[in-house]
Amino acid sequence: MERVGSTRLRVLSMVLVALCLAGLVWSRLAYWQVARHGQLGMQAQAQYREVVDLPAIRGAIFDRNLTQLVVNTTVYSAFVSPDQVPAAWRQRVTSALVSVLGADQTTVTTILASPAKFAYISPRRFAKDKADRLTALKLPGVGLEPETQRSYLPGTSSATTLASNLLGFVNYNGDGQYGLEAYYQKALAGTPGYISSYRDLANREIVLGSHTHQDPVNGSDLVLSLDANIQYAAEQALADGVKKYNAESGSVLIMDPTTGGIIASADYPSYNANDFAHTDTALFKDNVSSYVYEPGSVMKVATLAGAINSGAITPGTVINDPGYLNVGGYRIYDWDRKNHGNITYTYVLQDSLNVGAMKAMQAEGHDAFYSYLQGFGLTKPSGIDVAGETTVPPPPAASMADAQYATASFGQGIDVNMVQMLAAVNVIANGGKYAPPHVVDRVGTAINPLLLQPQRQVISPSAAAQMTTMMENVVQHGSGFTSRVKGFELDQTGKTGTSQIPVNGQYTQDVWASFVGFLPAQHPKFTMLVVVRKPHAAGSGSDWTLNDGYITAGPIWQKIAQAMVVDWHITPDPR
Amino acid sequence: MNEAQVLISTRILARRRLSVAGAKLAPAPRRRRRTRGFVQVASSTAAERLHLSSFGHAYLGLGAVLIAVLFYLGLAAQITQSSYDIARLQDQQRQLLAEQDQLRYQEVTLHAPAQVQQQAAQSGMQRIVPSGYVSGQPVAIDLTAPVGAVAGDVTPLWARAVAAVINTVGGTRDVLAASK
Repeated sequence: MERVGSTRLRVLSMVLVALCLAGLVWSRLAYWQVARHGQLGMQAQAQYREVVDLPAIRGAIFDRNLTQLVVNTTVYSAFVSPDQVPAAWRQRVTSALVSVLGADQTTVTTILASPAKFAYISPRRFAKDKADRLTALKLPGVGLEPETQRSYLPGTSSATTLASNLLGFVNYNGDGQYGLEAYYQKALAGTPGYISSYRDLANREIVLGSHTHQDPVNGSDLVLSLDANIQYAAEQALADGVKKYNAESGSVLIMDPTTGGIIASADYPSYNANDFAHTDTALFKDNVSSYVYEPGSVMKVATLAGAINSGAITPGTVINDPGYLNVGGYRIYDWDRKNHGNITYTYVLQDSLNVGAMKAMQAEGHDAFYSYLQGFGLTKPSGIDVAGETTVPPPPAASMADAQYATASFGQGIDVNMVQMLAAVNVIANGGKYAPPHVVDRVGTAINPLLLQPQRQVISPSAAAQMTTMMENVVQHGSGFTSRVKGFELDQTGKTGTSQIPVNGQYTQDVWASFVGFLPAQHPKFTMLVVVRKPHAAGSGSDWTLNDGYITAGPIWQKIAQAMVVDWHITPDPR
Repeated sequence: MNEAQVLISTRILARRRLSVAGAKLAPAPRRRRRTRGFVQVASSTAAERLHLSSFGHAYLGLGAVLIAVLFYLGLAAQITQSSYDIARLQDQQRQLLAEQDQLRYQEVTLHAPAQVQQQAAQSGMQRIVPSGYVSGQPVAIDLTAPVGAVAGDVTPLWARAVAAVINTVGGTRDVLAASK
């Protein structure tokens, strides 16, 4: 009886031990299968399942003649997994990467000796031929990653691409930087898709396995109002001019008078957008829309046009110009400080006299003058469709001093960007209507809404016609003679501008030299503004007026206009 | 009352009648027809003919399962192989697209103003600035004016007679050629 009891006890204890052991195993199983289920499941999925991004194709950019300005190309970046490169292969891998890609030998050796799992080999983004050569070598631990790159057309030199400051570029992350690429990033980029599929042990994709995918939505193409040929001619003439007059920089902006579409927008110095990674970032800025300057006498076009429209003056109104005018406690002079006696407003514009501009402003009154500044779009951003437009609006009308009104009438003490100024002068060319400046005519198949809106009438067609005649006179008899295009001597308009550059509140001898005009005068095909910053023409050391707009900017305007006349088959109006 | 309505009303009534009658009558036992599947028939026939024991049945079943598994594996292998082929072709397509992009860039660059000018310069061509333009006068033609009657022949009768004689004697001559 006792033996039976002890046997039972033993069996029971064995069962208990077995149960405990089984409990341990079960609890461990439960831990892995229940508590850690989510995490382990994810780890397992990560091993055999892969989500691959399907990038959207970025939209192309075309000019008005449907010349493609930007092309998407596939380039490759090489990477190494140092832990996958056997020690015996390191030397061979290094020499292959150095010879095929031109990589730095020391850098590659250091990378291969490091415990890193992944490293890109510099230089990145090379062409397919190099990728093919590298693939043929079958190097262990070396891989290739295809990437899409934006390739831009060549510019006037190997250091530049066409319209680089206007177009901007796309960085390694696919984000547009500067210019149109940044402004239209959303439309151009589209929406990327993805595909989630299975991979086998050799990391090969099993296409027919169960997978989910979302198709990418490709970006929209842009059709610009730009003309690639005119753009090139403008860049070439500008580069020549800036070098000739030893200037710091220069810009050209050409506009379609009736639509406000930008035909060309050039900056010098510029940069190579295909090599943005090795470019001084200061060159990325678009000086056409992101740089404010004092327009100088070009402003007289807006001042006099407003005064004529308000009925305060006529082109033939006679005024007395002693060479200076006392305003708000300041004595403000003409550029030549000479007594001009009794003169007409036509002569004021022709000879670019500050006293005449101030008297016109005073004749119409401060409020009217300010409202015309608003009407011509000089008090707010132009709204042009490029990234980074910069403006410095004038103070409110009530807080502007008399002297400020006076200087603003001839374009000093007021800051504008080139787009604002050209759009203002374009009002004259467009029969008194303000054409909103824009670069893009179509996004995909949609027309830019700006083109469908009615244009704002700023001054009457008759006032615009009178101002056109006055501006023709500037070319025929005044300072605009340097801009004369053969055959259009009697059929083109122009106005020079020279304004001193202020530094720390003091005007210096350095100037912004500019020239604006349109052609043919009665039926303009284009309006163009040229600005040359800090020119130092030959002999200007002793006579700084040699840097004036008619000497430095006028000839650049003439050269580009000449090219446009030939390229666009423009003929003068019959007389 | 049209035919459709008649039919509908008759059907409803019949259903009502059935439901009333159905409650009284006991439900008739449903006869289930037992059908034997092809596999069952075939296996039983084979077993009868081969005089298989119960182990034989088991082996036969196992064999069938094995064949099915092998068939499945073969099919899966084929699918996987096709999958690899598709992946390879997709990769090839990507490569070709990359080459196409490269060619497109080359083509676009060839037509770029910079390239055109360079080629022109190499060929010895240069752009000549026109020396002047001819200013025209607006042409005084009213395109909206009515066409009007055809002008009559104003040649004198004697001249016509002379011409007729000359033409008859000497044949017609080309006026433009004669003037040269």
